[in-house]
Amino acid sequence: MTSFNFKRVTFDAVVFSLLFVVALVVITKPDEEAMLMLGRNSLVFLGGCVLGALVSSLFAAWGIKTAGDVLFTPRHLNKLETAVPWYKTVWGWQMAVALGVTFAVAIVKTNFSIWELTDIDGFQGAMRLFKGIFNPNWEVLPAAVNNIIETIFMAFLATALAIPLAFVLSFLCAKNIMKGPVSFIVYTLLRTVLNVTRSVEALIWAIIFSVWVGIGPFAGMLALMIHSVASLAKQYSEMVETVSEGPIEGIQATGATKLQTIWFAVVPQIVLPYISFTVYRWDINVRMATIIGLVGGGGIGTMLIQYQGQAMWREVGCIIVVIAIVVWLMDAASAYIREALK
Amino acid sequence: MENILEVRGLDKTYPNGVRALKDVNFTVRKGEFLVVIGLSGSGKSTLLRCINRLHDPTAGEIIFEGQDIAPLQGEHIRRIRCNIGMIFQHFNLIPRHTVLSNVLMGSLGRLTSLRSIFGLFSEEDKKKALQYLELVGIADKAFIRADQLSGGQQQRVAIARALMQNPRLLLADEPVASLDPATCHTVMDYLKKVNEELGITIIANLHFLSLVRQYATRVIALKAGEVVYEGTPQDITDEWFQRIYGQGAKEVHIS
Ligand SMILES: Nc1ncnc2c1ncn2[C@@H]1O[C@H](COP(=O)(O)OP(=O)(O)OP(=O)(O)O)[C@@H](O)[C@H]1O
Ligand SMILES: [Mg+2]
Repeated sequence: MTSFNFKRVTFDAVVFSLLFVVALVVITKPDEEAMLMLGRNSLVFLGGCVLGALVSSLFAAWGIKTAGDVLFTPRHLNKLETAVPWYKTVWGWQMAVALGVTFAVAIVKTNFSIWELTDIDGFQGAMRLFKGIFNPNWEVLPAAVNNIIETIFMAFLATALAIPLAFVLSFLCAKNIMKGPVSFIVYTLLRTVLNVTRSVEALIWAIIFSVWVGIGPFAGMLALMIHSVASLAKQYSEMVETVSEGPIEGIQATGATKLQTIWFAVVPQIVLPYISFTVYRWDINVRMATIIGLVGGGGIGTMLIQYQGQAMWREVGCIIVVIAIVVWLMDAASAYIREALK
Repeated sequence: MENILEVRGLDKTYPNGVRALKDVNFTVRKGEFLVVIGLSGSGKSTLLRCINRLHDPTAGEIIFEGQDIAPLQGEHIRRIRCNIGMIFQHFNLIPRHTVLSNVLMGSLGRLTSLRSIFGLFSEEDKKKALQYLELVGIADKAFIRADQLSGGQQQRVAIARALMQNPRLLLADEPVASLDPATCHTVMDYLKKVNEELGITIIANLHFLSLVRQYATRVIALKAGEVVYEGTPQDITDEWFQRIYGQGAKEVHIS
């Protein structure tokens, strides 16, 4: 089976299975206990997928286009009848019904309720909060400033420590550098590890490290650093993959070693984008650091969560103002520096 | 005169299946200025890149100074490359570095990685680099960034960088193809000087027959990866010309 055929059938299978499972839930109305039987429910979903794959193949055999066809069959094989409006096609209805059902399920799942939004008690609570926030208590300003300085340095250290690691990793994760069988294994391994690391949010890393080294800025810094290493290594290595081959050949031809070739032919081509990415990362890290403080990463975030817990909205207002100003300043400064580097 | 290079039964098939060289045989004597001609895609660049092992040959022997370098691997390839300079159509200098620093990079093969990364080139090397810049007539540009030079000047820096290696053989892949006719002759004249005064053997890919007649001591022609002509430039008659470049081809003159 060609790869686009596989993608087409998989897509259709998942869409049909979704409809099948939703229909099943609506008809049988399972209780809490039944919903928690993960093993059995997964099997039902998989069964739905098999059924869906069959339906998709049947449509294909009859020459009827499904949504998977429209999405994944390459253009040159796919003659779309442009004159037919979507509501006269199977794939159009397939997509419309799937979207509609998904939307309906989402509304049920999020307990969406206009009534809650317009509830008078709740609304007054929100008003009190806003009143507090828009009337900040400037007495906590000195503490807020001290805390945000801690946050900025936490972000700075995380970025600075991530640079050398990401720098080395960026070459080991670049396809054009890692040629040859052994190199390819290292490349694949490192890429996988970095992808997994990056897919775990900094917030989760902060939770892990706050247990490991205790609540405080050190835990937050470590979390940001791990996340920065993974993100920077990816961005850096993409840069390395786009360098021009000419200088590399030029240096190789002199009898230079691999290390010399990287240093003299690749590095000069990437320093500016590297600096640019790094400045941007610091900017992102300051923003993330405030969030990370919420789960015990120290700095302004920790301060914010303490006042929020006591419903001291006027103090929260002051903190929000400080955060907004610093984030805005960092954003402007980093944009300015990156512009100058072009 | 003794041979510096002997190519025997050289074959190159790229991973994508293109067979760029087919059973190529020729010898190069010390001190020659050998020019390789042929249509675009005939395998000229591939041939040069096999000789200094930027590409791996698929089969055959490349005997450089009596040693078959075709089967060499890794570190050994690097040592051989130290003796073979190469210049390119697009010069392949490092744009952000100065001219002098670019020339010094020709000595990388003799330095340890660590030393060169900290920029510890010896005074002796610096003096030598300046001498070579003198030789190609741009010593006054030594401290200017390489990307601020004209094409012809950049190619001369590239020649100086190659000379810095103390090569016995110099490969030139269309060294003047991106230069205007006047600059083109300047660069060719410097190559000739390198060939005659320093006694460095040269193998160059060229497009213009008028240049070939003026500079080459011997010519080989490639067609679809095979050697179809070997001889002196004077012997390329109109008939040969048609055979190499195809029926109906017309010679273009560059003065
Ligand atoms: N890296 C590569 N991978 C695959 N095929 C290649 C590669 N480099 C060259 N080829 C193919 O090998 C053949 C010879 O190419 P080569 O570059 O040696 O020709 P050339 O004579 O130098 O041409 P030109 O005058 O255009 O530079 C061509 O058919 C080309 O498409
Ligand atoms: Mg070429």
